[in-house]
Amino acid sequence: MIRNLNIFLLFSSVLMLSGVYALKFAIENTASERTALIALIDSQEGDLSLLKADEAVLNQPGHIDPIVKRHQLALAIEPVKQEQFGSFTAIPMRPAKPNSAAMDSLFLSLEAGIDPIDAILELEGIE
Amino acid sequence: MMSVTADDLGSTIALDGGRKVRGNLTQARIRWMVLALVLGFGLVGGRLVQLGMVVPDTTIEGQARDAITATRPPILDRNGLEMAVDIRVPSLYAEPRRIIDVEEAVRKIRTVLPDLSEPWLRDRLTGDKGFVWVQRELSPAIEDRIMRLGIPGVEFLTESKRFYPGMSEASHILGSTNVDNQGIAGIERHMDGENVALLQELGLARGNALAPVELSVDMRVQHVMHEQLVDAMSRYQAIAAAGVMVDIHTGEVIALASLPDFDPNQPATALVKDSFNRITAGIFEPGSIFKTVTLAGALSSGAVTITDQFDARFGIRFGRFTIDDFHGKHRILSLPEVYKYSSNIGTIRVMQAMGKEAFRQFLTSMGFDARVPFELPEMRLPTVPKELSEVGAATASFGHGLSVSPLHMVAAYAAFVNGGNYVPPTLYRRDQAEAEQFYRRVITERASAQIRYLMRLNALEGSGSQMNKAALGYRIGGKTGTAEKVVDGRYSASKVTNFFGSAFPLDNPRYAMVIMVDEPKRENPQSGTTAGWNAGAVTGRIVQRVAPMLGIAPDFSPLIDEQLVPPELR
Repeated sequence: MIRNLNIFLLFSSVLMLSGVYALKFAIENTASERTALIALIDSQEGDLSLLKADEAVLNQPGHIDPIVKRHQLALAIEPVKQEQFGSFTAIPMRPAKPNSAAMDSLFLSLEAGIDPIDAILELEGIE
Repeated sequence: MMSVTADDLGSTIALDGGRKVRGNLTQARIRWMVLALVLGFGLVGGRLVQLGMVVPDTTIEGQARDAITATRPPILDRNGLEMAVDIRVPSLYAEPRRIIDVEEAVRKIRTVLPDLSEPWLRDRLTGDKGFVWVQRELSPAIEDRIMRLGIPGVEFLTESKRFYPGMSEASHILGSTNVDNQGIAGIERHMDGENVALLQELGLARGNALAPVELSVDMRVQHVMHEQLVDAMSRYQAIAAAGVMVDIHTGEVIALASLPDFDPNQPATALVKDSFNRITAGIFEPGSIFKTVTLAGALSSGAVTITDQFDARFGIRFGRFTIDDFHGKHRILSLPEVYKYSSNIGTIRVMQAMGKEAFRQFLTSMGFDARVPFELPEMRLPTVPKELSEVGAATASFGHGLSVSPLHMVAAYAAFVNGGNYVPPTLYRRDQAEAEQFYRRVITERASAQIRYLMRLNALEGSGSQMNKAALGYRIGGKTGTAEKVVDGRYSASKVTNFFGSAFPLDNPRYAMVIMVDEPKRENPQSGTTAGWNAGAVTGRIVQRVAPMLGIAPDFSPLIDEQLVPPELR
């Protein structure tokens, strides 16, 4: 029984030993991966900060304005003038719609042989 | 084989085989051993479980690294455009005690950085020190080349560096930082005074975690103002030019520029002579733009009314001095005419009607005795005499014999047109409700409306007509000021400092602006050197460009100007 126990203990210690070593190397491996990742993140953050700074420069009015000026002739653009601004009050009102019902009734009465102008002309005494 | 075991207890006689006795003993020992082992392993296992339960305190992690990459918050303008950002740059350092061959190291480093002096570098790398900077804030390309050299003991560290994408455009607002990323001027220095330094010390200012600081400045307007001032410098061959624009209701500074300026990306250029901030740290005799102050005070006190007449037929004598008008009309002038023709005599009469004590008191209430409460550290005390003599009060009424900063003037103009409330200017965002807590009434609303009329009148018919030509439709009004400089103890007619104080759009005023041009020359033989020709014209050109950006639509309706006329004069 004791021999069995000894054998079991021997095997289990060898097993645990290898397990512990495997764990140790795995941890070391992870740690170095982590360090590499931190370094990568760091350098990428650095790149990002440079890109952001680049973007900020490109967005500056002081950067855009000279470009606009350089292409002023080619693109036929110039600063806006006061006269170019309009206001809502300057827009004319929509023209009144033609009175189609009145036109319809006129044509109907003409077809029926009644000319409203005739009556007026007769009244005025013009033939 | 048999044996008799005699114990201490003589009465019991146990008869056991020797093998069995030894077997028992061994088994007992093994049991104890197993127990001991189980206990031992249990202890170790328990400890492991305990360690596994511990939550590591990650807040301390990486502090050593971050102490040097400590960042500053980005600075944004009012539209969210970056005015200052942090960039990560490599810095070269060496550990001299690890360098094997100093000569080789010096030679190799100088192939990449030929600007470093050889003896200096040799001296730096020799010795038993653990850490010396070689060159800070280099580019990633140079880092790569030096790393390729493979010199032992020479390494890089990433540092934060401040970068200003607007270059010199907002230099006097932003100030700059030193190589250790501490603010040394401008708003950067103010921020350090607030809290950034403390955060950095605590190791909390890490990464990009800091909330950005929003300024009240509008970079578009700032750009136009800067560009127009640069143009004015060459157009009028001036020695300096400066300008400031504020929101009259909140006191927010929309733009502030002073030329000559510097590039905040190269802090050394800030030390160049004459590049100080003329808006905050320059004090000048304001000249005729100060007449607005005198008239506002007198109208508000009730000592004069807008319909009063003033005798400007003859110069006013004080002992052996006679104060006369520049291009005088020499007749009786109404109050609007006093302003329109910028009559010194008329203004003195207005001041005298108010009384010099009351006038001096009004200057105090306008904050002309102290620095303007403002964030920038570059400030200078104005010089206004404590007591005004008769002649002192007379000259002060038209802006001579006292010196104030342009910031004082723009704050005063803002108060005069916004309904009469003084609001201290600020570079940070501030909304109307917040600003109202700072409001301090300095003139009556009625006087404020009359000042708006006078300023508009001066633009239509007076010295501001040059300005109005460019900014037609934007209902801008203002006052010119041509202050002769003191050269060898006398006022010089050829060397002048010109100002233009303005506000727009006057039917619903929103912005006040002061432009200064120092020692301008004539642009062409047909023009002059008085303020209307330069400071006024610059103001007009700026307003023409920025008004659409600020959401102000032009309106040519004559009704607007008619409505500005006070009821008494209609």
